[in-house]
Amino acid sequence: MFDGLDKHTQEQLKRDFKEAHDFDPKDPLFGLRQSDFRGPKMGRRTVLRLLAAAGMLSMSHLLPQTVKTVLGQSGGELTAGWAGVGEIRTLDPAQINQVLQFQIASNVLGGLTHINPDLVAEGDLAVDWQVSADGTEYTFNLREGVTFHNGDPFTADDVVFTFNRSKDPQKSIHTGTIANVQSAEKIDDLTVKFTLAKPQASFLVKATERSSGRALTIVSQGGLEALGTEQYGLTPVGTGPFRVTEHQLGQGVTLEKFDNYYDPQRPKLDKITIIPIIENEPLAAAIEAGDIQLIGGNPPAAELIDRFVDNSDLTVSIIPGPGFQALFVNPWREPMRVPGFNKSISELKSESGFKVRLAIAKALDRDDYIARAQFGRGVPAFGSINPAMGFFFDTAINDTSEQRFNLDEARQLLADAGFPNGDGFPVLRLSGTPAARRELQIVAGILKQNLNINTEVDIKDFPVLIDEFDAMEYDLLRIGSGGDFDPDDGLVDWMITTSKFNGPDRDKENMPFGFFSEAEVDAAVAAEVVEPDLDARKALVQKANNLTSNKVAALFLFHPLDILVFRNEVNFPAESRIPGLVDLDRVTLG
Amino acid sequence: MLGYLIRRVIHALLVIAAVATLVFFMLRAVPGDPLRAMLFEIGDAEAVEALRTKLGLDQPMYVQYVIWFGHVLQGDLGNSIYGSRVSVSRIITEAFPRTISLAGFAFIIALLLAVPAGIVSAIRKHSIFDHVFTFIAFLGLSMPDFWVAIILIIIFAVNLHWLPAIGYADISKGFWPWFSHLILPAIAIGTAFSAILARMIRSALLEVMKSDFIRTARAKGLDENLVIFKHALRNAAIPVITVLGIAIALLMSGAVIVENVFSIKGLGRTLIQGILNRDYPVVQGAILVVSVIFVFANLLVDVFYTLVDPRIRYEE
Repeated sequence: MFDGLDKHTQEQLKRDFKEAHDFDPKDPLFGLRQSDFRGPKMGRRTVLRLLAAAGMLSMSHLLPQTVKTVLGQSGGELTAGWAGVGEIRTLDPAQINQVLQFQIASNVLGGLTHINPDLVAEGDLAVDWQVSADGTEYTFNLREGVTFHNGDPFTADDVVFTFNRSKDPQKSIHTGTIANVQSAEKIDDLTVKFTLAKPQASFLVKATERSSGRALTIVSQGGLEALGTEQYGLTPVGTGPFRVTEHQLGQGVTLEKFDNYYDPQRPKLDKITIIPIIENEPLAAAIEAGDIQLIGGNPPAAELIDRFVDNSDLTVSIIPGPGFQALFVNPWREPMRVPGFNKSISELKSESGFKVRLAIAKALDRDDYIARAQFGRGVPAFGSINPAMGFFFDTAINDTSEQRFNLDEARQLLADAGFPNGDGFPVLRLSGTPAARRELQIVAGILKQNLNINTEVDIKDFPVLIDEFDAMEYDLLRIGSGGDFDPDDGLVDWMITTSKFNGPDRDKENMPFGFFSEAEVDAAVAAEVVEPDLDARKALVQKANNLTSNKVAALFLFHPLDILVFRNEVNFPAESRIPGLVDLDRVTLG
Repeated sequence: MLGYLIRRVIHALLVIAAVATLVFFMLRAVPGDPLRAMLFEIGDAEAVEALRTKLGLDQPMYVQYVIWFGHVLQGDLGNSIYGSRVSVSRIITEAFPRTISLAGFAFIIALLLAVPAGIVSAIRKHSIFDHVFTFIAFLGLSMPDFWVAIILIIIFAVNLHWLPAIGYADISKGFWPWFSHLILPAIAIGTAFSAILARMIRSALLEVMKSDFIRTARAKGLDENLVIFKHALRNAAIPVITVLGIAIALLMSGAVIVENVFSIKGLGRTLIQGILNRDYPVVQGAILVVSVIFVFANLLVDVFYTLVDPRIRYEE
């Protein structure tokens, strides 16, 4: 592809590549200024520098959008394999509960907004919007001339219908996403107003976004009535660039170009077939054989990536992923017992339970873990805010977090807690799913090697693991989050006292909180949730993130990368390269 | 004979009902709440309970059983608890032809390999052919079918590009797409079974060849081919027919793993995923269908016996 460019463009790309890598690795800002990190959009130079700093800069980031699009032609059929899944159970946004499902739905259904590669919400079915001064009213001006796949016109009535449907717990599992939304009111056919109970900084990214939002992903009332709920979930009618023409459960979904899509330049492809492929080796064989041209769905297994990188027929595009993975430590179990986190760090460090907690965190060399457990594919994590969030992500945390690797300090802390060289330390259970078995064995090995403590890897099916996690019946438990596009996905969902994952089924008499509770974190998050000013919100997010890191809310392990693998004849433009999603409307072949 | 058949059918129905009941209660005894796991990312306890009530899973177990069994008697297998709650009947109706195509094709491949190999091994006992076929048979038995599947994919799909690596094409899309998608998985499943069948045919034929009536046939001057193919083989078929009843179990169990490798959503893969996801209605429905197949397949085998060997008659 590079050879196909003119000489001037080649020279420019070489300069861009060199410039992106031109920084002192010890500089926490990588040669950038603080103002370069200001949102809502980061400049190209800043993004390229950050990618280079993370060792993830690839040619696909450098190639300008126009070049890649010009290289491809409209038309053609693409076959994609959806990794790690046996079937696509539903495409009805009211029932979607997996990222791999809304990856497909994002190509079929529309929303008022859609995130761009910087995870900033842009207009989709809404052309613009106004927010009231107090942040509780959002008035959307809808795009004119949009139709559903069945020919019905898209109007404000459809937005109100979708809202009412999502508000009904009998019809939607996403009622909680719009719990803060009091009403949706049609002003006229092309104007709709939402009234919120209180301001919500994440409203545009979490609630109205067409892919991950789901609660306000626009559905067709006519389509639902004609098809019924069951069939609509398999072949939904939407306003997206593609329409579902066939769906055989477990065998594949067929999408075809919607000729009346509101953007006449999209989509480019005529047809897409999506096949769920659950096993790793057949997935690899299928793309190597050319039976599939692209891998979507769950990230491909880490052990396959080097093989794909070495294959000259394939392109491997790697960008920061929207999520985190961690080991959660039960603060109610000895010897990690911490009955309260509402103290300064120096005070916490005087408690033996916290010393053990911090010792384990400091003994975990994330780089070593990623190299061995993830085959080098991952970004060390020290908090729930992930690098894909760009503007909100603080790279300085790698060097300032209390959890950063320091073996001497880790051993000293353990000795101070009464377990010199791990003597007398009880065997801890390391719980995880079957898919995490190898990773947990590596963690066990690292803890044994670095602290001389023994752990027992305890593998449980996901439903059983969740029961234990919710009831706080574990010592150390490996779990994480994906599809985190907004800081609230990390902080609100995981890190505050009332977060939905914070031990909801625990014995509340004996455990006043779940895995973590800290008043300053709660206050910072409560403030950032309603903060309209981006800079101020960023400061609050990073404050909360740093606190959760330093007080070891969890042993953060790594941020998964978003890895897209496709054959060289597929042109996947940077504009569509949104972390966590597989938008195919700008993809071309040839 | 008719009386025997009626008794066997009644017995079969009782067995199926017992299996269905056992599976129903065993599934619910397995730890892990499927609804909570399904909605974990949502993290909304109210949504979980609303769904539980909607699906009737908040009822006492015996109430759920009575309701479910009543629906089954009316031909309604219920709906999946996941996603769009597609009806179990639809899931199985879509999956079943894939498994039947695969198992049937594997069966034909197994027969095509096993019958000549078994006959030649028996006729030319201890010859080089016998040793080679025996070795190949043990090789076929030793190699796991999923491993054979992956090797076939690497050779014929990735390297030679002769056949597709994954997937299934319905026959409505054309004979060759349907056929080409079945070749590799059918070989993977059929290989082990052909090894068993070949050894069975060899043993049975060797046993029959020692019989007096074979010696008499030869003494009467019959052509050796007639002795083997008309007299010996027909008698050797009886124990082999017994294996055919078990063959269905072998082929369908092999299909479970191979279906996963080739991404074919057949009955086996439906069952495995249902179990892993704790999708109770799907597992119950799939096991019901599988047990019906097993029980009635063995019944058909018993009836087939009487056709092959008129000496066998079941008492009234």
